[in-house]
Amino acid sequence: MVSDPTLLTIREASTLIATRELSPVELTQACIARTEALDATLSTYVAFTPEQALDAAKAAEAEIRAGHHRGPMHGIPIGLKDIYDTAGVATTGHSRLLQSRVPAEDAFTVAKLRESGAIITGKFGTYEFAIGGPSFDLFTPPARNPWDPSRTTGGSSSGSAAAVATGMVLGATGSDTGGSIRSPSSLCGLAGIKPTYGLLSRRGILPLSQSLDHAGPMCWTVEDAALMLQAMAGHDPLDPACANVAVPDFAGTLGAPVKGKTIGLIRHFHETDHEAAPPVLAAIEAAIAVFRSLGCVVKEVTLPPLMDFAAVGLIIMSSEAFAIHEADLRATPELYGEIARDRISLGGLLTGADYVQALRRRRELCAAVAEAMIGVDALLTAGSPFPAQPIDQVPKWLMYQKPSITMPFNVTGLPALALCAGYEEKTGLPVAIQLAGRPFAETTVFQLGHAYEQATDWRARRPGLLAA
Amino acid sequence: MSETISVEAFRLLLDRAGIRVKPESFEDMRNAYTLLQAMRERVRTSRGYDAEPAHIFTPADR
Repeated sequence: MVSDPTLLTIREASTLIATRELSPVELTQACIARTEALDATLSTYVAFTPEQALDAAKAAEAEIRAGHHRGPMHGIPIGLKDIYDTAGVATTGHSRLLQSRVPAEDAFTVAKLRESGAIITGKFGTYEFAIGGPSFDLFTPPARNPWDPSRTTGGSSSGSAAAVATGMVLGATGSDTGGSIRSPSSLCGLAGIKPTYGLLSRRGILPLSQSLDHAGPMCWTVEDAALMLQAMAGHDPLDPACANVAVPDFAGTLGAPVKGKTIGLIRHFHETDHEAAPPVLAAIEAAIAVFRSLGCVVKEVTLPPLMDFAAVGLIIMSSEAFAIHEADLRATPELYGEIARDRISLGGLLTGADYVQALRRRRELCAAVAEAMIGVDALLTAGSPFPAQPIDQVPKWLMYQKPSITMPFNVTGLPALALCAGYEEKTGLPVAIQLAGRPFAETTVFQLGHAYEQATDWRARRPGLLAA
Repeated sequence: MSETISVEAFRLLLDRAGIRVKPESFEDMRNAYTLLQAMRERVRTSRGYDAEPAHIFTPADR
């Protein structure tokens, strides 16, 4: 008998489902009950679809009873950021502009998740169009941080992060153009990966900036992120950026020794370029000690200044986002929330030369990082420079004021994993580290992240409101 | 650090781009534009011709 199935990992729940010790219906009902208890506080969903989820759970249960267990995601409740198209269910980008938009088809990755047998419970709130938030002038309020509901989840995959941390679902999709998977994963204590650019299809996901947009999973553990990424991956010939590469068994190599792996510490990113808060700095030093105790070699590497990556990323993102939204911004600006409208509009003041110069600088930055990674298996820095801020005090232009510590891996396209590295003593808020790997080397990043998680006890703690 | 653009010049830029800004956002965006200018200056530096946004064909395209 499982006392609270919502707090199982995907791996644990999957094992119990496969041995018929846990029913997908029972698990889905528990997640629905958790949502009904907490969603008024956390505002995670923009469209909660419990009846559809239960129907899918019953079908999964019948299939498994008939002897057909599809794999580790079969019968697992997950949710989708509301920029992933879902056939017959509105996909709005959390914007009034698209509030009545109902796609005819699933996004490619959503179809893959359904094929894996995952149970979709609904659509999660996001920063508007994955850029504008936290906003209080949209059709539903912004998601709140389950570790302290007066704080932000980070963005833009905000509802996804709050829901996973509280067991409303066991995994969720996010998207990441400048850190929108890794920032909320960091601030809500999750494991979230932005895979290599081109590993996952983006077809059917509302774009923000096509050359920086990535899809990816957000889960409680690194192993779960590996399992969910597996279900989402696969070549999509209709996404021009989707690489036709073999998809490895991401979870299959977890647990392999990491002794001898070399980690490049980008100390200047979090100590000088964007000075992190003391608990984050302490967590990174502690993580270095953990990796060394596991037999890893940790050495410092120097990359170009963080602000160079931030400038390139912001100019490309702003230019591409304005190109996407230009017609709607001119025709119906009143349908946007203030933050999305103003941030995207600013991109309209950039020139073609600005955009091209940013692309050219991007090429130089990619070359510099590739050179720094010679002989290095992964890079290490902060997942977020600070724990979650009060939700009503998030600076509107923060990314312009302080360089984003996640943007370098959107600019270079390298896989990057944010994972919990402890909790601030005073507030109990999560802090996080970030591991980045070589192109399509997700397995290495997962191995290191999983080894770190196994060597620490951060996964034993959940938000205090679950005990209330 | 870039100087803050004048009200008149910023209004001209917005008009030229066809962007309507709510009056309550105008000053906020004018100040943010200064931050954007700093970003532009950072990428608009000289570099070799090999730093280019190339279009690449993969072998499968041949």
